[in-house]
Amino acid sequence: MKKIVKFTLNGQPHVGAVADNILLIDYLRGMGLTGTKTGCDGGECGACTVLINDQPALACLTLAPTVQGARVETIESQSRGGGLSDIQLGFHHKLGSQCGFCTPGFIMAAEGLLRRNPQPNDEEIREALGSNICRCTGYVKIIEAVKWAAKERGRGVR
Amino acid sequence: MTETTTRVRSIGLHVPMVDGPEKVSGRAKYTADLVPVGALAGRIFRSSCSHAEIISLDTSAALKLPGVMAIVTGADCDTTFGVLPIAATEYPLARVRIRYQGEPVAAVAAVDDATAKKALSLIKLKVRELPAYLTPEAATAKDAIDLHEKRPGNIEREADYELGDVTAGFAKADLVREQTFTTSEVCQAHMEPHAAIAEFDPVRSRLTVHCTTQVPYYVHLMLARCLKMDKSQIRVVKPQLGGGFGARTEALNVELICALLAKKAGGTVRLLISREETFLTSRCRPQSWLRMKIGLTKEGQITAAELETIQRGGAYSGYGIVTILYAGALLYGLYDLPSVKFLGKRILTNTPPSGAMRGHGTVKTRFAFEALLDSMARELDLDPFTVRRANLLKAPTFTKNDLMVNSYGLAECLDWTEKASGWKIKKGKLEKGRGIGMACSHYISGAAKPVNWTGEPHATINLKLDFDGSVVVLTGAAEIGQGSSTILVQCVAEVLGLDLSRIRIVAGDSEVTPKDNGSYSSRVTFMVGNAAVEAARNLKTVLVTAAARELGVKPEDIEVLGEIYRAASQDKGLSYDQVVAAALKDSGTIMVKGTFTTPLEAQGGKAYRGAAVGATMGFSYAAQVVEVSVDEETGQVTVEKVWAAHDCGKALNRLTVEGQIQGSVWMGMGQALSEEVVYHPKSGLPLTASLLDYRVPTIKDSPPIECHIVESNDPNGPFGAKEAGEGSLAAFIPAFTNAIEDAIGIRFTDLPVTPDKIFAAMEKRKRATGKL
Amino acid sequence: MESLPDFDLIRPRTLDEAVKARQKFPGNRLLGGGTDLLVNIRRGIGDAPTALIDMTNIAELKTIKADAKKLKIGASVTIQEVADDSTIAHHYPAIAEAAASIAGPTQRAMGTLGGNLCLDTRCIYYNQSDWWRSANGFCLKYQGEKCHIALKSKTCFATYSGDLAPAAMVLGAEVEIIGPNGQRRLTLTDLYSGDGQNYLTLEEGEIITALSIKKEPGLRSGYEKIRTRQSIDYPLAGVAAGLCREGNKITDFHIAVTGTNPKPVLLDGTAHLVGGPLDDEFFNALDKLMSAQIKSMKTTLAPGNYRRKMAGVLARRLTKKLFDNYCQ
Repeated sequence: MKKIVKFTLNGQPHVGAVADNILLIDYLRGMGLTGTKTGCDGGECGACTVLINDQPALACLTLAPTVQGARVETIESQSRGGGLSDIQLGFHHKLGSQCGFCTPGFIMAAEGLLRRNPQPNDEEIREALGSNICRCTGYVKIIEAVKWAAKERGRGVR
Repeated sequence: MTETTTRVRSIGLHVPMVDGPEKVSGRAKYTADLVPVGALAGRIFRSSCSHAEIISLDTSAALKLPGVMAIVTGADCDTTFGVLPIAATEYPLARVRIRYQGEPVAAVAAVDDATAKKALSLIKLKVRELPAYLTPEAATAKDAIDLHEKRPGNIEREADYELGDVTAGFAKADLVREQTFTTSEVCQAHMEPHAAIAEFDPVRSRLTVHCTTQVPYYVHLMLARCLKMDKSQIRVVKPQLGGGFGARTEALNVELICALLAKKAGGTVRLLISREETFLTSRCRPQSWLRMKIGLTKEGQITAAELETIQRGGAYSGYGIVTILYAGALLYGLYDLPSVKFLGKRILTNTPPSGAMRGHGTVKTRFAFEALLDSMARELDLDPFTVRRANLLKAPTFTKNDLMVNSYGLAECLDWTEKASGWKIKKGKLEKGRGIGMACSHYISGAAKPVNWTGEPHATINLKLDFDGSVVVLTGAAEIGQGSSTILVQCVAEVLGLDLSRIRIVAGDSEVTPKDNGSYSSRVTFMVGNAAVEAARNLKTVLVTAAARELGVKPEDIEVLGEIYRAASQDKGLSYDQVVAAALKDSGTIMVKGTFTTPLEAQGGKAYRGAAVGATMGFSYAAQVVEVSVDEETGQVTVEKVWAAHDCGKALNRLTVEGQIQGSVWMGMGQALSEEVVYHPKSGLPLTASLLDYRVPTIKDSPPIECHIVESNDPNGPFGAKEAGEGSLAAFIPAFTNAIEDAIGIRFTDLPVTPDKIFAAMEKRKRATGKL
Repeated sequence: MESLPDFDLIRPRTLDEAVKARQKFPGNRLLGGGTDLLVNIRRGIGDAPTALIDMTNIAELKTIKADAKKLKIGASVTIQEVADDSTIAHHYPAIAEAAASIAGPTQRAMGTLGGNLCLDTRCIYYNQSDWWRSANGFCLKYQGEKCHIALKSKTCFATYSGDLAPAAMVLGAEVEIIGPNGQRRLTLTDLYSGDGQNYLTLEEGEIITALSIKKEPGLRSGYEKIRTRQSIDYPLAGVAAGLCREGNKITDFHIAVTGTNPKPVLLDGTAHLVGGPLDDEFFNALDKLMSAQIKSMKTTLAPGNYRRKMAGVLARRLTKKLFDNYCQ
């Protein structure tokens, strides 16, 4: 049975009819928001990380109807006006992204972090990105990317 | 034509990737992100035994299920596939014999995934189970039956050589030591699971396949072979790829099965496989056993080395023959070795087929060599750096197995790591439980002889210049996240003196891009980069000729200043746009090309059977220092820091070179610390086919990695470049075990070095010393 | 990646609605953050639920209440909220430390207290895909006849791996339960049966609504665990301890272990250890209790023996740390 679900998706009101057993990742990807990735068989890699009410969440373990009334943000929300956000620029300039498959998840987890803690130190970055697996970078440049973004955001650049 | 200094430069700088904006914005399209209208959902029916004869396979009930559009089985393809022409032993779907748990037996295309899943449950497979051989010992036991007809004794390949007089070498040594090592199977575990979309046009009998591959051309060949189609009727496209690391350097059953389904259904099939299936399908680095023997003088000079190794190859050949040959060949190339003896065996077992993983063939050999060397240095009271320095090669040279070494930055790598890590003040002097270790490694810059030898150039680049003034690079080289597209754009921009924004790249679409062997063996920068440089030079000649004609001077009088072309004597020249317009007047759209072919002397010798494997245009070199601390009560290890120096000839892009070094060091760390593919010892079922149980290090387990780039300027590399993406992996592992020995005085020879092994070893020592 | 079977999603706003929903939909399951349950359902582990009752929309289950005497954490409070709460961190540190150590940050932001307490037991023969378990002939815990860990065993050895339960146990926690027959309280230790298969003692239709802990003045607590990776992984062994100290003597002592047995084990007999100093005799007696009660079978890739030994190491280490750092 499908239910009408209303929520804010990437800053815009959204109404959709969803079946009870539909996972948020399938719902998002089904409507063309394919930036959110499936990298594992459930909950192990963080590639599907989105923000729900500012908190990082695994879209692969979230039932779509449960986001009723919530604010859902995917990687697609980051590029406001077509430009790149500070975190996206950080990942681009500092090579926090190589193959790019884990990148949307990392960027959303990092966005969640910077909203809670605008000036994180290395250990806080490591802690906050601990649910996300990257296989290319060894994480060194991901940490640099997030630090770069925090600095930019601190200067009021966005 | 004169080079000038005012042109736009990018070579040698930190250049973000040309496809970075797509990746960080989520706009990059990977195979699973493509959803053709009306695509059917594919699913694979897999065996649930390790070794068996198929008695019957009944798909009738599944076929009757409404919504099922096609089912394929072994009966639909009687042609084997395999990356090595001499070892194509595998069917896309098992026929007659099943040889590993999870081997595809049938596949379904249905209107949706739920229907396909239901159809699988209706397929009935009857088998006669055969004894399963999960280890080389079991597979080579006297009464073991053969997995394949033409592989008696389940030996895929025995390889051996002796170069120099090893007996005399060991006799000359002051210290001879021998040690056995074992390494677990490890998996590439790239983040993007395997996927394919096959579109069959029944009207024209044409096939288009989008798939997750590092080698679109090899996929093309295998599609033609297995589907019995003319190559001209097939198009292979590689969308954005979420990592490879060797898992997809050969055509996999995924794309072949997807195409078989599409052809049978007469439509489009999308086959997304799970992470568990991805583990079964990836061609992992094989589990290995090694016996290493080294002779050293008391000054630390190596007099002889001997390696015997056995690899568990899995059920099919894959790259197996190449892997075992690499294990022997790449004993050479790093140090000056007067005499070497090698004996390698690749064994067929009832486990998923192994293949090529980053650092293909060298990682285990290097682990054993560098670890034993460290133990021996300790015994001789020599500093490990001293031992390495006592055995350096002198470039240019050819090794005794005819490997060409034209540039050699190992000495500089050693100097930097020693100094940066504070080695001299730390070694042997750190607090209890803390230790430091070092090791070296190297890797080829492209296999000089491709596995599929055609006699064609090794790489081809086409450049298209049209009325809009943009230069389009057309390449078959597969961008897999390593940054190959960025490097090729840089090479072209550098030669033409154009801004990077003028250049666009189209990669990996057989319909428009020239054939390329693919992204493996670190070949792209060296080979395709050289082709790009040649193509750009050819284009520049066209432009300079046009400018000269327009200006009424000789081409050699034209000076190119970025986007200004002028005769030396004139002040005002022509703009780039004017030159392009002039050039187009001749021919319309301009297409030029560049190629690269490895010269004969680089293609290896004939010292022994298989000696061409290992041959390359140049080697990268790496030295590493690893600092660890060990919790002596729990056996838990923390990697505190890594210092990694890498000679890549010339860093065409410092940013991506650093990223490659860090990534490979870290991947070595995973293999050393926690990664391990385990099969159930009885059932052969994979026990680690998830990212929870296959333990890729998290960011919390990962240390700072300080990099140093050494530039030895290889005479043949594009702008002097060699490989950067694989050579640093192998050094980490021995440097790590050497550091653990420094920390707690115990030598670990069995990978991965998990906390429980460390704990058990410490308990054993306590018992032995009576402290428990 | 498997999609989910068909079920009804019920999103009650009140506890009353939830209790009614449990009765209305036989074969339902309670859904918290979904980080354990949905993975299992996707793998076909456990009978496909007819309905999932989402407990995260019930306001009364989402509060942390603390006063001078007690703490009450609602079942739908997220693990991250538990970890971040300053009162919990100050007065019930074992709980905060355990919460902060669970899985990774995203799982903590999603997962709930109730979900973690009811975390399904785990085993390498159980946490596998349907294809895998079918190829292996299934197991005692679900759909099968035999235990692959101990072939002759009639009971299941799947391991309990929740981190919050041992931390709460050493503080003498109770769970508050509501069901078709009204409310009841249960000492947390009594929530777990010790059988890996039916690992909870909850009755049909019951719901855990809160964890409640009486504040024991003078009791100092902590939690430590070992895992292969420092994030995401389940514990190979986790130990919580709570103790009181007077002068050089340990006067109250509780220790609980997770990641080893089919239930979180509150070590029996620790009352006999108190009264003396924290000397070799104490630790030897502790070791004896541990080795008698902590049994870890090969339900994980890491050897069971290692997990058992680590529980011992952590127990000693944590006890010493709490004792040494004890302040009134």
